[in-house]
Amino acid sequence: MVTTTSLPPELAAQALCIEGEAKASGLDFFEVVFEMLAARDVNAVAAYGGFPVRYSSWRFGMDYERLQKGYEYGLSKIYELVINNDPTYAYLVRSNSDMEQKLVMAHVFGHADFFKQNVWFGPTERNMVDVMSRHAGRVRDYVEAFGQDEVERFLDVALSLDTLLDPYMPLRGKLQGDHPPTEKLGLSERARRSFEAVISSPLDRTDAAAPKPARLFAPPTYDIVGFLAENAPIERWQRDVLRMIRDEAYYFAPQRMTKIINEGWASFWHSRILTSGILDASEIVEFADCHSGATLAAPGQLNPYKLGIELFRHAEQSGQDIFRLRRMHNDVSFIDEVVDEEFASRNQLFVYQRNARTGRTEVADRDWGAIKEKLLSELSWGGLPRIELQSADEGEHGELLLVHKHEGRDLKLDEAGEMLLMVEKVWGRSVHLLTVDDGQGRRLTAEGGEIRAVETKTAEEACA
Amino acid sequence: MGFQIYRMERDRARFRDIVRGKLRKDLRKYLSTSELLGRQGKHTISIPVPQIELPRFRFGDNSGQGVGQGPGEKGDPMDGEGRDAEGHGTAGDQEGRHILEVEVELAELAEMLGDELELPNIEPRGNKQISTDGGRYTGLRTTGPNSLRHFRRTFRRALRRTIAAGEWDPEHPVVIPIRDDERYRARRTTPRPESSAVIFHMMDVSGSMGREQKDIVRIKAFWIDTWLRSQYQNIEVVYVVHDAVAKIVDHDAFFHLRESGGTKISSAYELCLKLIMEKYRPENWNIYPFHYSDGDNWSARDTERCINLLSDEILPRVNQFCYGQVKSAYGSGQFKKDIDGALSDDERVITTNVNSREEIPDSIRAFLGKGR
Repeated sequence: MVTTTSLPPELAAQALCIEGEAKASGLDFFEVVFEMLAARDVNAVAAYGGFPVRYSSWRFGMDYERLQKGYEYGLSKIYELVINNDPTYAYLVRSNSDMEQKLVMAHVFGHADFFKQNVWFGPTERNMVDVMSRHAGRVRDYVEAFGQDEVERFLDVALSLDTLLDPYMPLRGKLQGDHPPTEKLGLSERARRSFEAVISSPLDRTDAAAPKPARLFAPPTYDIVGFLAENAPIERWQRDVLRMIRDEAYYFAPQRMTKIINEGWASFWHSRILTSGILDASEIVEFADCHSGATLAAPGQLNPYKLGIELFRHAEQSGQDIFRLRRMHNDVSFIDEVVDEEFASRNQLFVYQRNARTGRTEVADRDWGAIKEKLLSELSWGGLPRIELQSADEGEHGELLLVHKHEGRDLKLDEAGEMLLMVEKVWGRSVHLLTVDDGQGRRLTAEGGEIRAVETKTAEEACA
Repeated sequence: MGFQIYRMERDRARFRDIVRGKLRKDLRKYLSTSELLGRQGKHTISIPVPQIELPRFRFGDNSGQGVGQGPGEKGDPMDGEGRDAEGHGTAGDQEGRHILEVEVELAELAEMLGDELELPNIEPRGNKQISTDGGRYTGLRTTGPNSLRHFRRTFRRALRRTIAAGEWDPEHPVVIPIRDDERYRARRTTPRPESSAVIFHMMDVSGSMGREQKDIVRIKAFWIDTWLRSQYQNIEVVYVVHDAVAKIVDHDAFFHLRESGGTKISSAYELCLKLIMEKYRPENWNIYPFHYSDGDNWSARDTERCINLLSDEILPRVNQFCYGQVKSAYGSGQFKKDIDGALSDDERVITTNVNSREEIPDSIRAFLGKGR
C-alpha cells in the first residue's frame, strides 16, 4: 500500500507503478506514506531525527542550522528520508527532478522492505511516531513543572548517554523470551544459527562466552543507560526522561548497525526497479548520472552505498539468496558472509595505513583476509567503542566501574573524561573507566566534577 | 507543514542563544584575534563557532588504518593525501567536528563589547546639538494663521474668561472669544543630538610596520567601528595610510597595503584636517580620528608640526583624538612620549601603547571608555 495524497498526480501515478514493480520483485513492506516538502522542511524533519513531533532541544536546532547551511551553500542535500514506522513515512524534496523523485521512491521501497524484514529491526517500535509524540508531551509537562533550564540541562546529560547501550540486547532478549514478542518472529532455524554466528564471531566473544543472566540492568552490562535509568538516585521525572532517551536510542540503534546493508539493499533495488521499465529512455542518462553520484566513492575511499550494492550484486552472482541475506544480517555479519577474495580484488579494496615516517597514508595491504578483518573491526558494535559497566560496587560508596573493550582502538581520552563527568552527574557518585591508551593501561576517574587519570597495569588485562 | 518550521525556529533560536552565550563568554578571545574580520555584512556578522557537541565515547586516531578502494600497489600513497582516518567511508558514524557559522547582529555584538569592556554610551556633545527641522504640531502659540487655530484651547480660555468675569449665563451659554483667547497650533522643534559620525583610521604603513603590527591595528579598527556604529545612525569610515605622504584608500587596501619608506605623520594629520574642513564639518559630524603607528617619525620638527596641528586645528573640531602606538621591532616609540608631553592635559587626547595582542582590549577600552 502506498499513500500519495501530498504528491502531484503524475508522481502519485509513478509511485503506484514503482510500488507494483517493487512488490512484483518480492519486496514486502508496511504501507508507505510519501510526503513532499520544501528542502528546508525536509532539513527540519531530518534534524528531528525524522520525527517532526519530537521534543524540543537546541541540539536539533543546531543540526538544522548545519543542514540548512550545507544546503544553501550547495555542499550537501538530503535526497531521501525514510522513517522506520508502520506506516513507513518517506519525505521527498520538492525541488528534485521527476527522475530523482522516481529514484528516491524506488530507493524508499527498498528501505521500507528492509525495515520490515530485517531481524535487527524486528524488536524496534513500529509506532514510533506516536511514541515520539508522547515523549514530547511529557517533556513539555516537565518543562512546565520544573523550568526550561532544569529540564534542558538534564536532557543534555541524558542525550550524551544515548550510545551507552547494548545494540544486540533487544534481539537477544527476543530470542531468549525476556520480552514477549510483539509480533510473529518467523525466524527460521537457519536464521537462529546465522544469528548465533553473529554473536559468536571473534569480535563478539564476550557475548558468546556466557549468556547474560536473565536479570536486566545489573552489571556486568553494556546497557549502561538502562542501568542508570533504573538504579541512579534521580528524580522521578529524570528517570522518565532517561527511559525515553533509552527507548529512542534502542529504536535508532539498528540503523547504525545496518548502514551498509540497508543502503546497499535500497540502492540495489532502486537500480533494478528503475531500469526495468519505470524510466523512459530520455531519463536513463540522468538516472545513470544521479545513481553514480550517490554511489560514487572519492578516490581511495569507501562509500557505504557503493560497498553495499556491490556486496548484494556479488552475492546474487555467487548464487546466494539475497532476500535471506537482507533478512538475517547486520553490516558485520553481512560482510563476514559475503566478502571473499574475488570480491576484494574486483572492487580493488585495500587496507591503508599511515606511514609514521613520511606522514603519508599508503596502501598497506591487499590481502582479502586482512581487508575483511579491518572492515569488521571498524563496523563492530555499530562503529562505536564498546564500554561495559562491570561493577556498581566499587569503593565504599557504590562507585561505577566502566571498562573499555579495547580491540586495538584507543579512545579519545579528553572526551571520554567529559563522558565520565556526565555519568557521574546521573549516578551521583564517582565513576571509573579502565582503558588502554598508546599501549599503556589507564584508569580515569570522575570525582566531584573533576577528572583524574592514573596509569595502571590492571587496565591492560581488563580491557583485553 | 508550517508547524514544523515554527517548532524548528524555536529550537534554532534556542541554539543561537546558546551560541551567543558562548560568544559573550569568549569575547575576550575574539577581541584579540582576527577571526571575525572580513565576516561582516551590512547589518550582521557571521561568527564561526565550533559545533557544540555532547560528549561521547569516541575512537581516537591511534591506528591510522582503514579500508579504502581504488588502484595502487602496496606502498603507494593514496590519492588526495592528507586526509585522516575519519574521512574514510566505513569509520562508523563519526562526523568529525564541524565549524558552524552563526549570524549575529552587529548591534548585538557591539552590546556584548560594551558589556565586556564596560563602555559608556556616548553622550551628545554639549553645544553640538543641532536643532533638526521637521518637528510636529504639538506646541501652542498666541499668533498664527486661522487655519492653525486650536478651537478647543481657544474656547476653553474664552469660557474661563467669561466665567471669571461673571458673564456666564447657563440659560444662554454664549461664549465669544476675543483676541487674547486665540491660541494657534505651533510646530515644536526638538533638539536632537547629531546622528552622524565620521571615523578616520590613519595608519603608518612605513617599512617598520610589520604584519603583526598591522593585524593589531586591524583588529582594533574593527572593534572601534563596531562600537561606534552602534552609537550613531550614520557612520562613515575614512581610511588613510601614510608613510612620507598620506592618501585615502579603501577598506581592503588599508588592511593589506604595505608601503615602505620614511614616515611623516603630519602628512596624515593634514589630510585629515583637510577632509574635516571640506567634507565633514564639525557642525554636522561627530569626528573620531584614530592614528596608529609604531612611534617613529621623520624628524622632531615634523612631530612639532603634528602637535601644533592637533592642538590648534584638529582637537577643537573633533570629539576625541586617539593615538594607538603599536610596538614594533624597529619603532622607537618616541611619538607617544612627545604627544603625552605636549598634550597630556587635554582630555580630548587619548594615547595607548599596545605591545601585544593581549593588550588590545585594554587599548580599546581606553579609546572608547570616555563616552565622548
